Amino acid sequence: MGHHHNTKPRVISRREMLGLSAGGFGSLAFMGLFGTLPFGCKRASHLETASNLYLGPHYLPKAKNVIFLYMDGGVSQVDSFDPKPRLTRENGEDPRKKFKVDATQFDNVGKILKSPWDFKQYGECGMPVSDLFPHIATCVDDIALIRSMVSNFPEHTNANYFLHTGSGLQGRPSMGAWMNYGLGSENKNIPGYVVLDGGLVPPGGLDNFKNGFLPASYQASVFKSGPEPVANINPREGIKNLQEEKLQFIKQLDSSLIGKIGEADAVESAISNYELAYKMQSSIPELTEFKEETEATKKLYGMDSDDPNLRGYASQCILARRLIERGVRFVELTCPNVGPGVDRWDQHSNLKKGHEKNAHAVDQPIAGLLKDLKSRGLLEETLVVWTGEFGRTPFAQGSDGRDHNPSAFSMWMAGAGVKGGTIFGKTDEYGYRVIENEVTVHDLHATIMHLLGLDHKQLTFRFGGRDMRLTDVHGNLVKDILA
Amino acid sequence: MGFVLLMIGGILDNPPDILLFLGRFHPVVVHLPIGFLIMAILIQMASRWPKYKPLAIYTPLAWFMGAVSAVVAVIFGYFLSLSGDYDEDTLFYHQWAGIAVMFLSFGCYFINKKWNNSLSVPKWILVFLIGFLLMYTGHLGGNLTHGSTYLWQYAPNPVRNMAGLPSKMEPRKKVAVLDSADVFLDLVLPMMQSKCVSCHNEGKKKGGLMLTSYEMMMLGGESDNTIVPGDALKSELVRRITLPMEHDDFMPSEGKLPLTDQEVVLIKWWIKMGAPSSGFVTQLDTEKSLSSLVSNYLGLDKNNLFNNKIPPPDRAVVDSLISRGFVINPLMKDNYFLDANYSLSEYTLKASDIDVLLGLKEHLVWLNLGNSKVKDAYLEKIGLLHNLVKLDLKGNEITDAGLKSLSQLENLESLNLYGTKVSKGILELVPQLTKLKKIYLWQTEVKKETIIQLEKENPGLTIIYERE
Repeated sequence: MGHHHNTKPRVISRREMLGLSAGGFGSLAFMGLFGTLPFGCKRASHLETASNLYLGPHYLPKAKNVIFLYMDGGVSQVDSFDPKPRLTRENGEDPRKKFKVDATQFDNVGKILKSPWDFKQYGECGMPVSDLFPHIATCVDDIALIRSMVSNFPEHTNANYFLHTGSGLQGRPSMGAWMNYGLGSENKNIPGYVVLDGGLVPPGGLDNFKNGFLPASYQASVFKSGPEPVANINPREGIKNLQEEKLQFIKQLDSSLIGKIGEADAVESAISNYELAYKMQSSIPELTEFKEETEATKKLYGMDSDDPNLRGYASQCILARRLIERGVRFVELTCPNVGPGVDRWDQHSNLKKGHEKNAHAVDQPIAGLLKDLKSRGLLEETLVVWTGEFGRTPFAQGSDGRDHNPSAFSMWMAGAGVKGGTIFGKTDEYGYRVIENEVTVHDLHATIMHLLGLDHKQLTFRFGGRDMRLTDVHGNLVKDILA
Repeated sequence: MGFVLLMIGGILDNPPDILLFLGRFHPVVVHLPIGFLIMAILIQMASRWPKYKPLAIYTPLAWFMGAVSAVVAVIFGYFLSLSGDYDEDTLFYHQWAGIAVMFLSFGCYFINKKWNNSLSVPKWILVFLIGFLLMYTGHLGGNLTHGSTYLWQYAPNPVRNMAGLPSKMEPRKKVAVLDSADVFLDLVLPMMQSKCVSCHNEGKKKGGLMLTSYEMMMLGGESDNTIVPGDALKSELVRRITLPMEHDDFMPSEGKLPLTDQEVVLIKWWIKMGAPSSGFVTQLDTEKSLSSLVSNYLGLDKNNLFNNKIPPPDRAVVDSLISRGFVINPLMKDNYFLDANYSLSEYTLKASDIDVLLGLKEHLVWLNLGNSKVKDAYLEKIGLLHNLVKLDLKGNEITDAGLKSLSQLENLESLNLYGTKVSKGILELVPQLTKLKKIYLWQTEVKKETIIQLEKENPGLTIIYERE
């Protein structure tokens, strides 16, 4: 117990050890190969079809895990990562005299609106970042920025489904579900697809995180922020055995049902869900109490901030790292509720106040996450993705807001396999439309899968008479951002 | 008869396709007179012996069949020559020697048939003349098809010299390192030699183009834009090799082996760089955008671990490791490289676990033993896992004493020592790990001055030793 004890990396605690040993069943072997089954999945029967004899990456992966930082509502590209001096010069002029203006959601097209924030160049690569993100700006040499994203939908719910599932309609599997279907999960006591609910569930609701036609085990588990991230994670029964007996009884009932109706994925998944919930009662508290986290680490993420939203998001970011360390395949962070009067990043009015509040809450935690991952060697096997569902207009909605713009937005990735310090794609002089190297959401999905070693054309699931893919019949790799 | 056709044919400046089509049968048909005439010569000679005397009655027939088939061969040969793709001088001699063979064969037929016993001397002169002309014509035909150097290409040097050719050039040494690869001599020229020169040589200048040397390539053929230095897309050569295969202009034509995608990329790049006559690939390719492609093309990446096919792992070893707390993951679909992870295990790592790990010596490329209570003594065995590319040892109480054992990990690219007790020992270890790209040293006992020295001694190595 030297004076530097608090900077030591974590060691497995007694509680954690108990939690992990509750898993016990190693990994199931099948089809002559081996791999790790998805969380909660006892049978691999759905994988044992001719097209899916193999579970694991198709080719050598760059990343093992994904942390998806979802900027709900749509960050304005011209105010964050895509500076447009022309907006400043032509501030207040009529956009319709400059370029063709598409229909907007609220049909309240105002004047050209300059960015309220200045841009500065950062890092060795000199990437310009606005004053909204002074902390993320210090990480630009690890970031590959895409300025030429487009979406097919100008409205939140569809755009959210599209970004999460590759389809604008409700009901398809989310990309986190696909990754777990393709690669399995290494940890038997924590779900392989976790959504850390920062306070806001995106429009479209939980269907953004569902398994769709994939087996139920692949759906996301949503962890709330606060002292009890998973409902009823602390046993409600006073007597320990009582809970175990209850579970045993339920299992008996369910099993007898299966005996009557044959194999039923829903029932089998329910049984294994109960078992996992039981295991999670020891694995989750260990995970969410940051006992081994040093003060320096907490400070790095901004846990000492006066802003409760920043503190909240910081703890979500630390939790995301802890989940990745435990082999969780896909972690998504939703945004904190920075209200009142601010609806996510969706600033149809009051752009300055809204974007500033949101940016303040997420900027330092995200930078902290990147730096912490890097120093521990985790950024090498983790892909961090930062994106909204679309961008915003370069002209005002009303006087001080910006409307939805699916024709151009910026997103970035950092970590395993991406070329840090790159800027890919180009928008016009107003940042309104993509003019070079357009990247679709399907392209983004194909690229994320590629970095995980998955060929988006090979990872299929037969449903409705067709081999379904996350990228449907689309998707091209964005090769220029690959290291 | 042949003459008549020749006369008619002479007017045909624009030969109809059907003639060209028949012309392509010349190489097949021509072997009939060759066979018959050689047979005739042999019968002629053999029948001098009493034993083979009875054969004599077949001599006129053999000569007749040789002569008639020679007519067909001559006609088809003429059709073939109408395409105008052949070296004129050689063609002239080949054509007239062939026609001579045809007439002389008829002559021999008549001599044998009518004056069998009276014209013995002229007959034998004729027989040997035909024999000689047959070989001469055939040789010229070979030159027309394959190029005049074809026959002598592999001949011993004295034979080559007798044929008036220089001694064989020392074959260019196979490129051993990428830095010594020459863009023309090692990439473009060998490509031409294997895929193009069989039709574009001194003897058979299809389209007036020769692709046997740099000078000839730049001289071009009938089109004056064969190679436009600096502009691959304007170069006829690039257009021809990138057309759809069923296109009339596609090269190589006639179903010969087309250029591979790699070769097309390389040719385009060579032309884009100004089509230099020589120059090191690595110096021209300043952005290193082609290094991996060129390495692959020249077969230099064989020492890239992942290009080796390895056998499936022993099932029992994998099962044993899983039961001991390892998570074992495949890393690619068409090969058996594996990732082993102990960092999530509920057990404590034992020396015997490492022994079992050695059973996957060839397969393990990623190994995560983070926070697994690895001891210095274990590293001795871990150091034998020579295919490791990534090794994660973070959070273990290991010291410089253990590090020494890792010096044989020749494939290691990433070494995570975050939160260990290592210190100055890394200075000795790192230079031995020739492929190392990244090392993590945050929260170790490595001092700042050691880091500075490490950075200085190992440029290009990414050292992560602090959390900014």
